Amino acid sequence: MVIERREIFQEFPGESDWDVVIIGAGPNGLMAGAYLAKAGLRVALVERRYEIGGGLVTEEILFPCYSSNAHVIYHMMVDYMPVLRDFNLDRHALVWIKPNAQTAMVFENGESLVLAQMLEDTKDSIRKHSIRDSIAFGKVMRTWERVVSDIVAPATYVPPASPLDLTLALQRSEIGREMLEITERSPLEIITDTFENERVRTIMLYTSCMWGLDPRETGIGFFVPLLLVRGMNKCYCYGGSHKFAGALAREIVQAGGTILDAAEVTGILTENGRAAGVQTAEGRLLRSKVVVSSLDPKITFLELVGAQNLPEVLKESTEGWKYDKWSFNTLHIVTDEPQRYACDDPWVDESFMTVFGFENTERLLAHWDNVISGRIDLDNFGGHATCESFFDPFLCRMPGKYVSFFQMHAPYDIEGGWEVRGEELKEAMLAKWQRAAPNLKRESIVKSVCETPVDIERRLNMRRGSIKHGDYNPTQLGYFRPNTECSGSRTPIEGLYLCGASMYPGGLVLGGNGYLAANKVAEDLGAAMWWKPTPEMERYVKTYFD
Amino acid sequence: MNREEKYDIVIVGGGPNGTTAAAYLAKCGMSVCVLEERPEAGGSIENVEVIPGVRIDPHATYMYAGAAPGFDQLELWKYGFRMDWRQEKLDKMLAAMMATGKIHLCLTTEGMAKPTEKDTLNWMKLTGMDPSAPFTRELLRAIYWCPPHPPEVEVTAENIPYMQVYKRHQPDVWTEELLEMTLFELMDEYVESEPVKMLHAMVSWYSGASPEWEGVAIPALGGECLLGYTFSNPPRGGMHDYFHAIIRCAIAHGAVIRTCCPVDEIIISNGRAAGVRLRETAAQGEKTIWADKAVLSGVDVKQTFLKLIGRRHLDASFIQRIKDISLKASSIYVSHFLFKGRPRYRARFALEGTDMIPGQGVYPCDSREIYYEHLADINGRKGPPSMPVEKVMWIDCGSKLEIPDACTIPGHYLISPLYVIVPPPEYLVGGPEAIDKQKAKWDAYMREALGQVLETDNIVAQWSNTPWESEHRNVGLIGGGWYATRHCRDQWAENRPNRLLPELARYRTPIDGLYLCNQSSCHPGGLALMAIPYNLMHILIEDGLVEPGDWWYPSPWYIPQQGKISAKPR
Repeated sequence: MVIERREIFQEFPGESDWDVVIIGAGPNGLMAGAYLAKAGLRVALVERRYEIGGGLVTEEILFPCYSSNAHVIYHMMVDYMPVLRDFNLDRHALVWIKPNAQTAMVFENGESLVLAQMLEDTKDSIRKHSIRDSIAFGKVMRTWERVVSDIVAPATYVPPASPLDLTLALQRSEIGREMLEITERSPLEIITDTFENERVRTIMLYTSCMWGLDPRETGIGFFVPLLLVRGMNKCYCYGGSHKFAGALAREIVQAGGTILDAAEVTGILTENGRAAGVQTAEGRLLRSKVVVSSLDPKITFLELVGAQNLPEVLKESTEGWKYDKWSFNTLHIVTDEPQRYACDDPWVDESFMTVFGFENTERLLAHWDNVISGRIDLDNFGGHATCESFFDPFLCRMPGKYVSFFQMHAPYDIEGGWEVRGEELKEAMLAKWQRAAPNLKRESIVKSVCETPVDIERRLNMRRGSIKHGDYNPTQLGYFRPNTECSGSRTPIEGLYLCGASMYPGGLVLGGNGYLAANKVAEDLGAAMWWKPTPEMERYVKTYFD
Repeated sequence: MNREEKYDIVIVGGGPNGTTAAAYLAKCGMSVCVLEERPEAGGSIENVEVIPGVRIDPHATYMYAGAAPGFDQLELWKYGFRMDWRQEKLDKMLAAMMATGKIHLCLTTEGMAKPTEKDTLNWMKLTGMDPSAPFTRELLRAIYWCPPHPPEVEVTAENIPYMQVYKRHQPDVWTEELLEMTLFELMDEYVESEPVKMLHAMVSWYSGASPEWEGVAIPALGGECLLGYTFSNPPRGGMHDYFHAIIRCAIAHGAVIRTCCPVDEIIISNGRAAGVRLRETAAQGEKTIWADKAVLSGVDVKQTFLKLIGRRHLDASFIQRIKDISLKASSIYVSHFLFKGRPRYRARFALEGTDMIPGQGVYPCDSREIYYEHLADINGRKGPPSMPVEKVMWIDCGSKLEIPDACTIPGHYLISPLYVIVPPPEYLVGGPEAIDKQKAKWDAYMREALGQVLETDNIVAQWSNTPWESEHRNVGLIGGGWYATRHCRDQWAENRPNRLLPELARYRTPIDGLYLCNQSSCHPGGLALMAIPYNLMHILIEDGLVEPGDWWYPSPWYIPQQGKISAKPR
């Protein structure tokens, strides 16, 4: 009773040849793949999970019937990403929603703040707390918006310049000099110097540092304008973030590219010091001229290439790679109605993101300090929440139900371990959320599930729950991300390129890493670059580097 | 934004049938647009990672489609298709069977059944699995991958495709009576042990046709053969990754496949299907998508006519007949269990001398009396199931055990899924949600049912979905039915979707330019076989809509309709 497999049907071959093999079909792998496949190269993406998308994951984690954006939901760079201009993703019904009410914060006494897309709306909200701060906000935004639109945003899609070159370049304009000045300072200094009111400072600090910046770290100040300005321009991907991945995958396949799911890469092949392909867990071999890895440097270099095959300098710098300083613990729920927050502004309920649990900067800083040292103080924590199906009815298959989540910063190595502390923390989060939104009654919760930092690691292969594949600090940012040799995508191993969040410009689905990698690979393989830089990028390069 | 678009073919529903049809048609050079309501295409071929590290298939679990011409016609291997061949598991299974003489799939209240030599040999003879004269693939293609004969051809024992296969390969199996038989009757003739008969009966039932239905003995047998053909091995990455190969084939050939695009109406103009109108909540708003050549409905037969077309284009008699299509007998309550530590058989099921992990089997296979009791309980009366838990019949697919990436939590094992057939929601006293309202109770019932065979003290998590939830999760699964409508003689082959609806028998409809392409409306029903689109291709060629290239071959048993273009290559 033995059936010869070959007689049944043909399968993807055990050995195959490609121009480019990309490890990981997350946002960056997909973007790199889309550009390169359309450039006529024979491209294969190799994905560990059964589904593409990486962090662009919209899945039925509240099974059955309720889907959730299990990871990325806030898309901050939609207005700038070249990929959204170079491809007609409309064709795949990709639609972005950008609510005006972007980030709200509610306080114990029912007061609130809303940061909106529209400047004057934000000022109205700030004015309730401090007239001076609302004026300061209007004023500072004139500069910060330009810092972002003229420099930081376009620079996201241009290879990093060395600190010296960048400093010289930015000297050329007033906005550039402003940016250099801001960069010198820490987020906490910038915010404390700019705003006087504690509540205003709290929301600004949360918005600037929530993705993993050390508020007291100097040399990263430019993130404050970037994350505040872009934090007020977040977009939601209608149908869930995974639709973005699906649209990119369609472009790849349409252009003749291949995607292998459920194919974990176990090794990057090197021949005579050159990357020559990858090996998968099931024993398949994909040979290629070029390998592009979207994984973090420790996995790419130490595990897949192998420490013994690395030049000493690269080995050392990779071993020194630091993962994110904190991760997330996320409570997903299904309820009968969206949350209504106990506060003075009905607009909060329409906000894309609502922050609660922090009354002032001192409490916020104490919470982050705790998290960094592996603790969570149940009497002092908070986070941000979104009712996803308020914006997207497609997530719920049962009528009249809503999916929402509450996300808090949390350490990967929590005191006591997640298996023990998880349930307790889930209860505490629920209680905290209920206090902020009293209509969130226990009996109205149809279903709930918590995803811990360990879960992030398990689902998305983000080591230690590092949502950005590695910490944001001056030695791991810009030209130094992940190190000076690799921040431009090429690596000291010929034929091996990086395209993931651990490379310049970083994590959070910026749309830069995969794009930059595609540029380098196309250039090195002599492929036709069918795309052009965006006008913003051209202006930036012309102004500062011509 | 453009409020109107135009394609050759518009397909409503991005499930397995709609998408496979898109792949076939796009490969013929047609411009094709598929519109799917959910954020993800794939319909019932889906995977869910319910908690990080645990992947389940909420619906389709097994690769039934092994014998499909689609694998080579659509060249799915090019689009990454692979299987998860679990040779090691199979070897262990066979070794355990050899060592103990017991067949671990066949679980009775006494323990595991021991098949006789006759049980095994005759079964192999019937199913064409006898290595000396193999014809399983041909048999399966004859049952599933051939459109029903045209109306002017009288269906006889001589021209039914599977009868032709028997005549050729096993002439002594061929009898006129074979056409009238139930699977039980067939097995009474060929198989000795009652538990083994029950095993075959249950697997057939869960694959579409009940063993006591008249005149579908061979199609019922076919359900089990489909599984046996690939030895119950799943695709690499789960069923959804099989779908990925299909959808990518469609896209690579230029098909546009949009999600979050629910269709509200199939537009009928001068008696012709002219296109579709999207619902106002669609991602890009209300939009009209025109179809130059045809509209294919990948939606179930009831919603296609009652909702998308509507009464104003159809007569009352037709509407009544659509309403009367039987939904009974395929609504399933399904649970998935996570075990901490290896699942263990209860003592009486011990398999001495083997280290096999339990999980996969049918229970209780004692006798057909239990089966009849079960059937009466769910099909003959109004109300939730009332079988005592010791006797409730279940199938435990256990297909996730030993698949390395289905459960990656160290030390944990997944038994998934466990099926119990229950009445469809519309048959429940207390409303369609009656079972859902007491889900905790039914979850416990499922656990206890499994507990007849396995120790359940190390179950650490359970996920379930009810038929009502199935219907909502997957709009096409009306009544929570897994293979949509029963594969009984009145709804099989040229009688599908129903004997009283002969005008729908060959994928055509009374509306010009509208074709059916869904498991509930088309032969050969469910199981994600890529069969409906393949069969439909014959009809679309007959109607002069498509001209496939050299890669196309029709079913060898296909008979062209008079006055139409033949689907056989000229």
